[in-house]
Amino acid sequence: MSELRQIAIYGKGGIGKSTTTQNLTAGLCEHGKKVMVVGCDPKADSTRLLLGGLAQKTVLDTIRDEGEDIELNRIMREGYGGTRCVESGGPEPGVGCAGRGIITSINMLEHLGAYTDDLDYVFYDVLGDVVCGGFAMPIREGKAKEIYIVASGEMMALYAANNIAKGIKRYARTGGVRLGGIICNSRNVDRELDLLRAFSKELGTQLLYFVPRDNIVQRAEINKKTVIEYKPDSNQAQEYRNLAEAVINNKNFAIPTPMTQERLEEILLEFGLMDSADDYHI
Amino acid sequence: MSINLNNSNVATRENRIGSITGYIGTLGDLAKQSECGTLKGCSRCFSQSSTCLSSCALAQLSNIRDVAVIHHGPAGCSVAGAGAYYIDKVMAKKRGVTNNTVYVGTDMNEKDTIFGSTEALRKIILEVNQRYSPKAIFVSSSCATGIIGEDIDSVVDEVKEEIDVPVVAVHCEGFKSRIWATGFDISDHAVLSAIVKPPKQKRNTINFKNFYESARPEIIEIFKHFDLEPIFLYCNSTVEELSHISESLATTCICGTLGNYLGNGLEEKYGVPYIRTINPLGVAGFETWLREIGKVTDRSEKVEKYIAEQRAIYIPQIEEIKKELKGLRAVLGMGPGYTFEVSRVLNELGIEVVWALAWHYDKKYENGDVPPSMKYLLENDVDFEASVADQQNYEVMNVLHKYQPDLYLSRHPGSTVWAIKNGTPAVYVADEYMIFGYQHTLEFAKSILDSIHNRSFEQNLAKRVKLPYTDWWYQQNVDKFLEEGKK
Repeated sequence: MSELRQIAIYGKGGIGKSTTTQNLTAGLCEHGKKVMVVGCDPKADSTRLLLGGLAQKTVLDTIRDEGEDIELNRIMREGYGGTRCVESGGPEPGVGCAGRGIITSINMLEHLGAYTDDLDYVFYDVLGDVVCGGFAMPIREGKAKEIYIVASGEMMALYAANNIAKGIKRYARTGGVRLGGIICNSRNVDRELDLLRAFSKELGTQLLYFVPRDNIVQRAEINKKTVIEYKPDSNQAQEYRNLAEAVINNKNFAIPTPMTQERLEEILLEFGLMDSADDYHI
Repeated sequence: MSINLNNSNVATRENRIGSITGYIGTLGDLAKQSECGTLKGCSRCFSQSSTCLSSCALAQLSNIRDVAVIHHGPAGCSVAGAGAYYIDKVMAKKRGVTNNTVYVGTDMNEKDTIFGSTEALRKIILEVNQRYSPKAIFVSSSCATGIIGEDIDSVVDEVKEEIDVPVVAVHCEGFKSRIWATGFDISDHAVLSAIVKPPKQKRNTINFKNFYESARPEIIEIFKHFDLEPIFLYCNSTVEELSHISESLATTCICGTLGNYLGNGLEEKYGVPYIRTINPLGVAGFETWLREIGKVTDRSEKVEKYIAEQRAIYIPQIEEIKKELKGLRAVLGMGPGYTFEVSRVLNELGIEVVWALAWHYDKKYENGDVPPSMKYLLENDVDFEASVADQQNYEVMNVLHKYQPDLYLSRHPGSTVWAIKNGTPAVYVADEYMIFGYQHTLEFAKSILDSIHNRSFEQNLAKRVKLPYTDWWYQQNVDKFLEEGKK
């Protein structure tokens, strides 16, 4: 049995982190991997596709209602392909401290022995903007050593990715955390592949995989399923299998070299525009 | 800068009046830089001491009789409650009154931090009100509630409808200021915005902001000469008394650091004149202060008569003792309200100040002026080396070792002990009225004389104590660990 790989997925809000993580997880399951997904977002929607709905009671809600003396099975559900699903949860919008919530719930998971020896992968799906120390919890204290940033060719997605890389660099100095690469969740913008390759290179990492845009993802989401479960024969299902393959075989782990805002904009100018800029149609 | 009572949050001293905790230079330079706006506080890469502004603010408020202080934070934050309770009881006993103030911590836990705990806070406020029937309720934030943005203001607004006495939010996040004296302003802000009522009639009273009213009977007697009655704040004050302080003829204080915010606030909002002279310490201070009170309250004649009588009694005695003090060299370390006032008194007594340390320094007061004590020293051509250090003992020891003064004066008991271990006679200026008026100025001069007449205790102790500071440190400049703006 191989060593446990703990992976944190970061990226701009709405970029498709949860969708990508769950489809990737489904791909890993097909390889017979044992996976746990830990949602680190107060919205608690990181495991919806694996569980077939928001049926999950979050760690924090459970602690609040039942105290800290709880069994692991109260907060962990089994989802698609035997994946273990946990949602950290958090306070209502506008009150309390979601960051502290993540710290508490991850500590609770460790305390309850959620990290069993038979696990191959643990994924932390973290709220979009790493707004405070709490959201960096998954990459601190020797938890996730491997990080993937989900991005697209959109300016703000790259800006967020660069910012996240700054956080990774900080923790890379003291811990063993490394950037495994960028996963592009395509938005079909101009020269997206070239742009993402150039951006990844500048960041000192690789473009791990380019997931094309396909409306089947939307349909699968509405049906509360991963694409692999919803339409196993579709092209998009194969794309996610390929992504899983890329993660399994990845050997490229780097300390990122975040760039200045000016450099980021230069790259956008160089790669982010088609020759003719007036071909925009709706 | 004007005082905004519509906002429950008080800006810090650093932001409001440019206060600093790090500086080394001379008094003249400090004043010059303050006036032309170039003064920048320096931080230290090594700090030995500091304290939390919440204990300052909440101790002030809990001094008020029969109120409730609710400290919304983790249990450790309300540790100050024990000290406040003790002081409240002792001071009340001393005065012969009772103080049933309660200090309640909300014991915020991990869950409260994650989910917020405004609902629990609301219940606690109502319960405290029901159980203790306080005359006012102060609801304080803490670092934890500050970080999570707990909406204490809304809770307070809600419960106001269910509670008959004033309820007020007090924002005490300790991390927001390096200067614990910001806590004085926070407590004044709470009193001004929720307790003080608009005036209905003028009274022959003077608001006297002080710490523990130790000279209360004596000052009442002095003021009787002028047909004035002092109201001492906040120790043993009642909420009823405080609600009327807008009706007084003037506000004064024993310490500018302590009284500045309340004094300016009352003047700004209710037109109660704030006495902005040097403080009533030493002869010049006492007379200048009394004359200003006479002027403001239209009692100059009575004041002059009193001064003349008292002068006849005390000035010859003070002059006599000055002969023995002449030429002594002193170092002192105190809060800024006292450092420069006491420096002035020492100068008056013929003692040379070689170095003065202020625990912090307010570049200007609420009305925008340089503190009067500074102005006075400069106008009288007194200058000396000065530093601003928040009780950094290692800096004090460096200064004492270098200058080997005849005397060290401090308003911090621990600090004086260190001086004595260094072989330096020390005077602990403990009581706020220790140098008040003619009589205490004379007593103060005698205390100094006592301290230096027999130095065998200090000398013998110094011989037997090994201090933790190395020769290396004593050879360094005092500003070694000041990070920026070095001279």
